[in-house]
Amino acid sequence: MKFIDPHHDQWHRVVGEDGPKPDPDPAPHLLLTLEQWHAVRGHWPADLPTAVEVPNDAAIEDLAADLPRLALIVLQFPKWVDGRAYSQARLLRSRYRFAGEIRATGEVLVDMVLLAARTGFDAVQLRADQDVHAARRALSFFPGHYQGDTAQLKPHFAQQGG
Amino acid sequence: MYAYTDFDRQFVRARAAQFRDQLERNLAGTLSDDEFRPLRLQNGWYVQRHAPMLRVAVPYGVLSARQLRRLAEIARKWDRGYGHFTTRQNLQYNWIPLKDAADVMDALAEVDMHGIQTSGNCIRNITTDGLAGVAPDEIVDPRPYAEVLRQWSTLHPEFAFLPRKFKIAISGAAEDRAAIAWHDIGLQLRKNAAGQVGFQVLVGGGMGRTPITGQVIHDFLPWNQILVYLEAIVRVYNRYGRRDNMYKARIKILVKAEGQAFFDAVNTEFQQILSDDAGGHEHLIPQAELDRVAASFTPPAGVSALPAEDIFEGAQGDYKRWLERNVHAHRLSGYRGVTLSLKRAALPPGDITDAQMEAAAELAERFSQGELRVTHDQNLLLPWVRESDLAALYELAKAHGFATPNIGLLSDMIACPGGDFCALANARSIPVAAAITERFQDLDELYDIGDIDLHISGCINSCGHHHSGHIGILGVDKDGSEWYQITLGGSDGSTLSGTAVPGKVIGPSFAADEVPDVIESLIQTYRSQRAANERFIDTVRRVGLEPFKAPANAQRTLTATAAR
Repeated sequence: MKFIDPHHDQWHRVVGEDGPKPDPDPAPHLLLTLEQWHAVRGHWPADLPTAVEVPNDAAIEDLAADLPRLALIVLQFPKWVDGRAYSQARLLRSRYRFAGEIRATGEVLVDMVLLAARTGFDAVQLRADQDVHAARRALSFFPGHYQGDTAQLKPHFAQQGG
Repeated sequence: MYAYTDFDRQFVRARAAQFRDQLERNLAGTLSDDEFRPLRLQNGWYVQRHAPMLRVAVPYGVLSARQLRRLAEIARKWDRGYGHFTTRQNLQYNWIPLKDAADVMDALAEVDMHGIQTSGNCIRNITTDGLAGVAPDEIVDPRPYAEVLRQWSTLHPEFAFLPRKFKIAISGAAEDRAAIAWHDIGLQLRKNAAGQVGFQVLVGGGMGRTPITGQVIHDFLPWNQILVYLEAIVRVYNRYGRRDNMYKARIKILVKAEGQAFFDAVNTEFQQILSDDAGGHEHLIPQAELDRVAASFTPPAGVSALPAEDIFEGAQGDYKRWLERNVHAHRLSGYRGVTLSLKRAALPPGDITDAQMEAAAELAERFSQGELRVTHDQNLLLPWVRESDLAALYELAKAHGFATPNIGLLSDMIACPGGDFCALANARSIPVAAAITERFQDLDELYDIGDIDLHISGCINSCGHHHSGHIGILGVDKDGSEWYQITLGGSDGSTLSGTAVPGKVIGPSFAADEVPDVIESLIQTYRSQRAANERFIDTVRRVGLEPFKAPANAQRTLTATAAR
C-alpha cells in the first residue's frame, strides 16, 4: 500500500477560478474530473499519463473502454462510512482488469486501509490528521481472510492447506 | 457443532487484537468517539442508557456448554451477573465498562467466541431454526450452509459499510422457524425432483417503520452458487441502496422502489461475476468444502437411534404439560429436543443469570452432549436429550427455573430490552412484559388460550418483532411519555401463523397501565368468538379486527379522551 503525501504528489488537478476548467489542455500527470475527461477524451493524446477522479455514485462500468488510457483512478470517500467506492475498486480490478493505480481520497481513516487494500486500492491519501504508523499496523493484524479478494482471488477454503 | 480450525482461532484472536488497538487509540484520544463508534459496533459494542452494551455472536444459535460457562463467567466478573438472549440468537450484556472491552473480547476468543458484525451496517449474524439438525420435518440441515455463509460474510472487505444493517436467515425444514421472510435475505433450503439441494432466495424483507416481507428472487439456486448470488445481491445493494435517509436505507426500500429492475440487476451481476470476473468461480463452493464443514454437524459420538418410548405413559400435572409444550419431536428415534424456558415471572423474557447459565451448561453436559441452542423466541434448547432422561431433566430444569411449561403460549412472549436499557427505545418493554406475565400466571388459563405469539418492541426498530406477533405491542413516544400501539393478526410465516404479514393497528395508543387490561380483553374476545379448537390467530383472521376494538377501547381509563 502506497501512502500518498499530498505535498509531494506528481498528479495535479486543473482548476481555474470557477472550479475545474471545462476543457483542459493536454499535459502529463493531470488529474481530471470525470466531466473534464468526458470533455477531452475524444482528442486526448494517447501517450500522456492521465488520471481521472470518479465520484462514488458514478457507474464505473461506463469508464471501462477508457481504462487502457488511464494511469490512475482516484475514488472518493466523501464520508468514511459510505462504502460504495469499495465496490467500484473491486469492479475495476476484477471485472475490468484495470492495472494502473487506484487511489482512495476523501475521508480516508486508519481503519479503512485494510478494506481498501483488499478491494483493489493500492494507494491511499489518508485524511491529514491520520497516523501512517497506525495505518501500517492496521494492515498486519490478520493471518489471512475467509473470502477471496482482489489480491488473493481464492477464498481460504480454496487455498493450499486451507 | 462447528469445530474451529487453527485458522479460525487465529482469526478471532487477531480480531480481538485489532479491537484492542482501536480501543487504545480511542482511550488515548487519537481515535475520536465518533470515528470509533462504527468500529466498536462491528465488534458488538453499543453505548446505551447506563453503560455500553455488548452483543456476543452465537452463530446460528449453536452454543457449547463450555462457551455458556464462559458467558456466565463474563457476566459475573464484568457485568452484574446476567445476560439477555435476543431474537437473533445472540447474547447481550448491559453493564460492562468500555475500558474492559478488550479483555472481554480476549476472554471470548479463548472459547472461539466474538462480537464480530453483531451490529453496524454490515452482514449480521446469520440465524436459523433452533431445531436445525434434529427436527423431523427437516429437508436439509441448514447448519453447514450457515457456517459457510458465516465465514464468507466475516470481515468481507467490500461489504463492511453498507447503507444499513443486513440480516440473513436460513431455514432447512418444512416449517419456517426462522421467520425468513422478515429478513433482508431469507434462504429456504429445498430439494428438487432429482434430490439436488438448492436455495429458494427471498430478498427485501424487514420490519422497522416500513414492514415488508421478502419476495422470491430465485426459486431454486443450486447450493454451490449461493456465495456468488449473495455477492451479487449485496453488491447491487451497496452501490444503489439509499444513503440519504437512514429510514429508507434498508434493502427492502430499494427492492420496493426498483421492483423487477432490482431483480434484473442482481441476475445480471451474478452472471457477470461468473463470466467476467478474475476469480469469479472461486466462490463456487466445492463439495469437499461443504463436506469438511458438514463433518462438524454429524450427530455427536454416542448418539444413535434408540427404541422409542411412550413418554406420556403415567405422566400427569405440570410434568405432562412440560412434555406437551417444552419437549419437541426429534428426527432420531428415542431422542427429543427440550426447551429451557426463559419466560417466567420475576425475570424479563430472554434474561438469564450467571448461575442459570452455569446450570444450563450442566444440563447440556449431562443430557445433551454438551450442546445448546439459542432460539429465535429467546429460549434455550437442548437438542440431544434421550427420552429415558426426560423425567430426570425435568426435575433439574424445574429446580433451576427453566421448566415453565409455556412454550408457544401467551407468557412465552418475545420482548426487546426496551427503554430500561436501550438508548433507542421510546418506551419500556420489560414492565409491560412483566405485567402481562403477572396477569396470566394461571396455567389452566394459558392452556385454554392456547398457541399465540405475543411480541413486544420498545420502539419502531422492532427488535421485539411486534409486526409479526398475533398480538403486537409497540412502544411509542408522545409528548415525552410512554404509549403503546397494539396490533393484531401479524405472522412470522410459520404454518401456525400463516403467510408472513404485519399486524394491523386496532386503534389509538394505550397508556402503559391499560395494556394488561387490553390484552386481557383481546383474549376474552377471542374466547367468546372462537369456534371449536380454533386458535387465536385463526379467529382473528376469520372475524377480523372489528369485534376486538370496542372491548379493547372499553379498557381505556387514562386515554379515554384521547380515544375519542
